[in-house]
Amino acid sequence: MEQAPVLQLRGICKSFAGVPVLRDVSLDLYGGEVHCLVGENGAGKSTLIKIISGAYTKDAGTITYQGRELGHIAPAWARENGINTIYQEIDLIPSLDAAENISLGNEPRTRSGGIDWPAVRRNAQKNLDDIGANVDATVPVGQLKIAQQEMVAVAKALSLKSKVMILDEPTAAFTGTEVRNLFKTIRWLQSQGIAVLYISHHLDEIFEIGDRVTVLRDGNLIRTELIQNIDKATLVKAMVGRDIDFTRSDGGAGGSEILRAEGLTQRGVVSDVSFSLHEGEIVGVGGLVGAGRTDLARMLVGAAPVHGGKIYLHGKPQRIPSPKAALSLGIGMLPEDRKVEGLVTMRTVADNMGYSVIQASARFGIVPWRKIKAVIRDLIGSLQLRPPRPNLQVRYLSGGNQQKVVLGKWLAARCDLLILDEPTRGVDVGARAEIYHLMQELKRNKKAVLMISSDMTEILTQSDRILVMAAGRIVGELPGASATEEQVLSLALGLEEAA
Amino acid sequence: MNRNPSPARVRRWMGRNTSTVALVVIFAFGCVALPNFADKFNLSAIAFQYSIIGFLALGQLLVILTEGIDLSQGSLVALTSIVIATLITHAGLPTPVAILGGVLASTLLGFLSGLLVSRTQIPAFIVTLGMLGIARGLALLISIGKPISIADEVFADLGRSKVWEIPASLILWLLAALLLHYFLTQRRLGRHIYAVGGSAESARLSGVNVRNIKLLVYAMSGFLTGIAGVLWTSRLSSGSPIGGVNYELESIAAVVVGGGSLFGGIGTVGGTVAGVLIFGVINSMLNLAGISPYWQGTIKGVLILAAVALSQLRRADRTNVRGVARHASDSTAGPAKPSRNI
Amino acid sequence: MQVTPLLDRLNRRATFETKGVLRILLILAGLIVVAGVLSRGVFFGPENLINLGQQNAMLTVVALGQFLVILTGGIDLSVGAILAISSVVFVLFQGYGIVPALALALLAAALIGLINGGLVTYVRLPSFVVTLGMSQITLSLAMVLSKGGTVYTGLGGAAIAAPIIDFYNGWLLGIPLHVVFALVVVGVVALYLRTSYGHFAYAVGGNRSAAYLSGIPVATISVLVFVLAGILAGVGGALFVSRVGLGDPQAAKWIVLDSIAAVSIGGASLSGGVGTVAGTLIGVIILGVLNNIMNLLGVPPTMQPAIKGLVILLAVFLNSGRREK
Repeated sequence: MEQAPVLQLRGICKSFAGVPVLRDVSLDLYGGEVHCLVGENGAGKSTLIKIISGAYTKDAGTITYQGRELGHIAPAWARENGINTIYQEIDLIPSLDAAENISLGNEPRTRSGGIDWPAVRRNAQKNLDDIGANVDATVPVGQLKIAQQEMVAVAKALSLKSKVMILDEPTAAFTGTEVRNLFKTIRWLQSQGIAVLYISHHLDEIFEIGDRVTVLRDGNLIRTELIQNIDKATLVKAMVGRDIDFTRSDGGAGGSEILRAEGLTQRGVVSDVSFSLHEGEIVGVGGLVGAGRTDLARMLVGAAPVHGGKIYLHGKPQRIPSPKAALSLGIGMLPEDRKVEGLVTMRTVADNMGYSVIQASARFGIVPWRKIKAVIRDLIGSLQLRPPRPNLQVRYLSGGNQQKVVLGKWLAARCDLLILDEPTRGVDVGARAEIYHLMQELKRNKKAVLMISSDMTEILTQSDRILVMAAGRIVGELPGASATEEQVLSLALGLEEAA
Repeated sequence: MNRNPSPARVRRWMGRNTSTVALVVIFAFGCVALPNFADKFNLSAIAFQYSIIGFLALGQLLVILTEGIDLSQGSLVALTSIVIATLITHAGLPTPVAILGGVLASTLLGFLSGLLVSRTQIPAFIVTLGMLGIARGLALLISIGKPISIADEVFADLGRSKVWEIPASLILWLLAALLLHYFLTQRRLGRHIYAVGGSAESARLSGVNVRNIKLLVYAMSGFLTGIAGVLWTSRLSSGSPIGGVNYELESIAAVVVGGGSLFGGIGTVGGTVAGVLIFGVINSMLNLAGISPYWQGTIKGVLILAAVALSQLRRADRTNVRGVARHASDSTAGPAKPSRNI
Repeated sequence: MQVTPLLDRLNRRATFETKGVLRILLILAGLIVVAGVLSRGVFFGPENLINLGQQNAMLTVVALGQFLVILTGGIDLSVGAILAISSVVFVLFQGYGIVPALALALLAAALIGLINGGLVTYVRLPSFVVTLGMSQITLSLAMVLSKGGTVYTGLGGAAIAAPIIDFYNGWLLGIPLHVVFALVVVGVVALYLRTSYGHFAYAVGGNRSAAYLSGIPVATISVLVFVLAGILAGVGGALFVSRVGLGDPQAAKWIVLDSIAAVSIGGASLSGGVGTVAGTLIGVIILGVLNNIMNLLGVPPTMQPAIKGLVILLAVFLNSGRREK
């Protein structure tokens, strides 16, 4: 492994809309090594790999590949020249079989110009065998299990003579055996001199398969180490360890119970989740990707199936079959991606803010327009919406103001329980403070707030209590006033709670 | 692959060839239940009529494979007939030239549809709906609304002749089907059509030229429609500006009944052929049973909807619950891409 | 800024949609000028204007139904067929009285709309396929009912009630009754859009998931618009009988294209969530004036489908260009 690195990154910087996401990151990747990349949500991992694969363009820095400095990287060029990324959303054609997927775009031809099917099958089988995949290459890929699809994607990258293979959270939905198989494959890739960049938050896996590990935090490279020179605790410390200057929540006294969940389960996604929410409290939900937090939230608003368990509202058992039912029960949710699920972007501020309250207050279709307009006018004022124009199309607002509109929709509908999924994602600092202020006001008005967040600062400062989820379960509860980052992250990573 | 047929493989074969099985069953039923069904005269009649729809269905298959649709086929058939008839009768051109002209016209309009579908955001059904109007309008314009008769015996024979007792147009159609089958299974371009329909985005990432594939299928549909138009004109011995109405509905139905999915990526020539024949057989059975043509339309319409609905339900069955590709769950990769459930 | 509070106080429709309506109003004005010039003023004569109104009353009603469906992101290719079968049913049951006959016709129309809505919403089939298939079925059924031809009298030989025919020739304050009726329907649909169900149609078409999560009964609204489109097409069928004096399974063959053209010209987006009643009405009028201009220019009537096809493509293209989602 002591040769020139196959890929060298120096001083990579990237910002989105003025917000720096990567700051001066430098990394070396050697052929035949498994280099793990770790960091919290938002640390910059996926941005980095997208820059390597050409999906994003770096703002500054150099990338040297096989000794040559690269200018602008087109994704097609990267793919054809040995830099292959396998994302979570696997880029295969579901209706075609594995063999065909592997050869797509690169089909071997016969003398008459037709496709040489025996060659296609042979090549595919060879690639699959090489990596030890147990895959029926004649079945449409969409019918394979995720782990097998992953294998096919790796085989496809291999057929393109990959030199650098980037695996983005490959084991998100794998069983133990499937992880073993993947590791066998990775070891084979190593033996062929291929560099593997492995992004994961499964620390056990990292310590098993990795040669070196790099920690990113808030866009900065914290350290790069040989695996044998570091342990889990130190790794976790490196992932957190920021100085947060903040005022913590006073851990407010919760009032009567608004919601109690017992044993909530959704097959394969959420397992046996129990917790309760009270008037006048903000409960933060921490956890990493795939922990099931959003799925849990969707179950609470009737947008996802509940396969087991019960929900009690004000002590009474309730079925919540749809968001319409949830609304009538006083529950609302601000979704993770407001553009996809929170707002009708072509419609106006007034339209968007009004939908839920109109549904709640219309009788036989008749809408009390004057009252609604008054409510919305007041809300625009109290939310400090900028610009304060009810007839402006929502798509012209900034992220923070858009978020306020979604919030306003639920405030207008007078929900008792508000679920906020990443309330300040893509929101500027000023609006962020305003949203926190609003959350505090909700608390004062004896509403309950369930706040899902990947922002450590946010979770620690805003929550009265913190629930941490991992792999679909609640793995711990911490008091908001005194919890530490390490505690939250350790729980989220599935480790024992750091003392 | 040398493997003993496992139950799963048999089931898969059945799944892939349901339409052929259905055709055999329905045909058998027809032979048993209706006296004149299996005689040569009746079978020829079916063959003559449905080889025309057959060509349309082949073109429709190509378009549907890319998750598109061609609603202009019927009008293009009429237009082709008018072009041919005008070139022969009014312009005095030799028949082969006229035929070429007709097919060219249809192919050109198909190409235009393809341009719009592949280069703009306008949905395929609107593009081809608009083209339906444009083609019909052109046909009416050129013919001033009146049919144009063709006095060419040889040409008339084309649509009515038999080779060893088998209708020539049927042979022509089956030959075309065989060619298309070869194209879709053995040529890169053909396979790329399936890729585009299966997942245009993934196909693009693998280097497939999605835009041009989409353009190609509409041009090919136009071409095949042109050929159908030639056969149709020959059988009528005239060009008719008002004919071919709703032909595209039959071709869509044939593709869907033959196992094609309106959502793209799934469908075969064999299935489509079986689908066309199924409709031909059912049509004949309804006629022989003396059911009024008006009820026939209803029955066929119900069959079409049922086939489409079934194909949609089958699709839901085959969904592989992808734990990773959940919509809008906590994802580091930014806003979740809409996942494809097959 | 002084302008902002003024605009907000107007508050009737979103300003962006008002701008859109103003735009096509200008186009209409331009077309009217062209028509006036080409016809040397004949265009503005009462005879021509009345004609224009009478001819487009039916399309107005049908286009409004199409508008509602397109608002929610769908399309209804069966409106022509529903119009036809309603006209047949309306005539066939004349013997039972005007109101029962009308009720039956509208019931049939609503039922077909219900099937459309049900298949689209609950079986999740694309609306163009469902309505295409249903249009075939409906047309065939219309043929069955009318025994293949047009119907001049109802069952048992009952003649079409005189008031129905008179309705076409009647006036109110100098305006033909059909036009008045069409305007009333415009008002009704505008009112519908002020109800919760109507208002939500914009959300369902604009972003179905967001609408769903907001607590909007998306399925109900989705089915409802097809039922309404059906009923409106049924009303169109009644107007047809009033104008032509018979029921015809081949009635209004091109009205599907016309209605889609009118709605698109009116500024509605085919992907849903955008559009106004006023725009649809102006779209109908623009189509009517275009027709007029074509006649004045001596363009043969057989060209009309072609022109309409081109107009639809142009309108959709321009609309989709403006909406960068």
